[in-house]
Amino acid sequence: MPHYDIAVIGAGQGGLPAAFMAARLGAKVALIERHTVGGT
Amino acid sequence: MDPQALSFDLTVAVRRKDAIISGIVSGIQRNIQRNDGIDFITGQAEFTSPVDLKVDGRALQADKTILAIGSTIITPPIPGLEEAGYITNDEALNLSTIPASMIIIGADYVGIEFAQIYSRFGTNVTLLGRAPKVMPNEEPELSEYLGTLLADEGIELHASTEVKAAGKTNSQRYVTAQVDGIEKRFESDVILLAAGRAARVADLGLDEAGVEMNGAFLSSNEQLQTTAPNIWSLGDANGDYLFTHRAIYDGPIAALNAVKGLGKTVDYRVVPRAAFTEPALASVGITEQQARDAGYKVKIGIEHFADYGRAQAIGETDGMVKIVVDENNDEILGGHILGPHADILIHQVAIAMHDHGKLERLTKTIHVHPTMSEVVKGAAKAAR
Repeated sequence: MPHYDIAVIGAGQGGLPAAFMAARLGAKVALIERHTVGGT
Repeated sequence: MDPQALSFDLTVAVRRKDAIISGIVSGIQRNIQRNDGIDFITGQAEFTSPVDLKVDGRALQADKTILAIGSTIITPPIPGLEEAGYITNDEALNLSTIPASMIIIGADYVGIEFAQIYSRFGTNVTLLGRAPKVMPNEEPELSEYLGTLLADEGIELHASTEVKAAGKTNSQRYVTAQVDGIEKRFESDVILLAAGRAARVADLGLDEAGVEMNGAFLSSNEQLQTTAPNIWSLGDANGDYLFTHRAIYDGPIAALNAVKGLGKTVDYRVVPRAAFTEPALASVGITEQQARDAGYKVKIGIEHFADYGRAQAIGETDGMVKIVVDENNDEILGGHILGPHADILIHQVAIAMHDHGKLERLTKTIHVHPTMSEVVKGAAKAAR
């Protein structure tokens, strides 16, 4: 089973900076989005 | 120019909007793909334990999770509303034809913005607010002023209403509501629901993760940590300031705390906000009444756009600026602007407030003449 340091659920305007910052800090990140990136 | 010769095509406007969004989305997707640290996974996430997730059935494990789930519209329990059919802000941005008439339930940000947009498209708009004023959480003088402007441009505005029922007859929809103690019936082609939002928690299995709710939103602390110690939450889902820029602000803080355990706290003392009406209504910090309730002795400065040359020159003289100041030390507690470019002007006040700045930031800084920014400076100078 794939293993991640951080899962970010939602690739909207808040999830994206969270995911990018987590990756920059060295975390292995799963960014999960059910619809489209960027938020509604 | 002959304004009668101009026509408006909603499908073209929607197509243009879609093209702009599609460009933005492609840019974001490229940035994600380029980032080696991020695996992008499409699908609905569901917790099966605090560290176990299923995404459309595929299992994965994550030591920690950041919830960036946003909010969704609340459907109030109005009898007949589901059967009558309604649209939300999402569909309101994707209509192919301009409705002849529209009832909007809710007179906060979403309600008033769409009321003005569709009214200017030519729709007969009826706006039903539950509170005594539009934008009920903002500075009352400005909310009332904006309500008057919206009514003046032809929006049928009813405040202090309680919607009782909705329904549909042939192609016409109707809403009945208590208005000033009398039950009234309103009819329209379309009902737009804009009466509040809640965290978008459906199908996430938050119980399995140990993430608890606080009313309609997630329970989270100042470090954005939820009731599950390995799960953080950001943005709309936490309630209070349901603005994209709040989520953008929260994002890196949630990541720093989740990845590095830095214990950084959010500070929402200075969250500027704006309703994109014309004129726009924008504010930051607290209102005069909120300041008094919090025990401050306050100074108030008010200035009107109509008294300034630039506003007169461009013919946009509606609106005013109100500055709320702590009388003891001149710290700016709040700024409230109704007027042309209020959504931009509010940043003068936000920047002055950011590090507990004093009134002299605004009063002693040289402002370009003739610009709208002088109205903000003028209000600061008028504070007493």
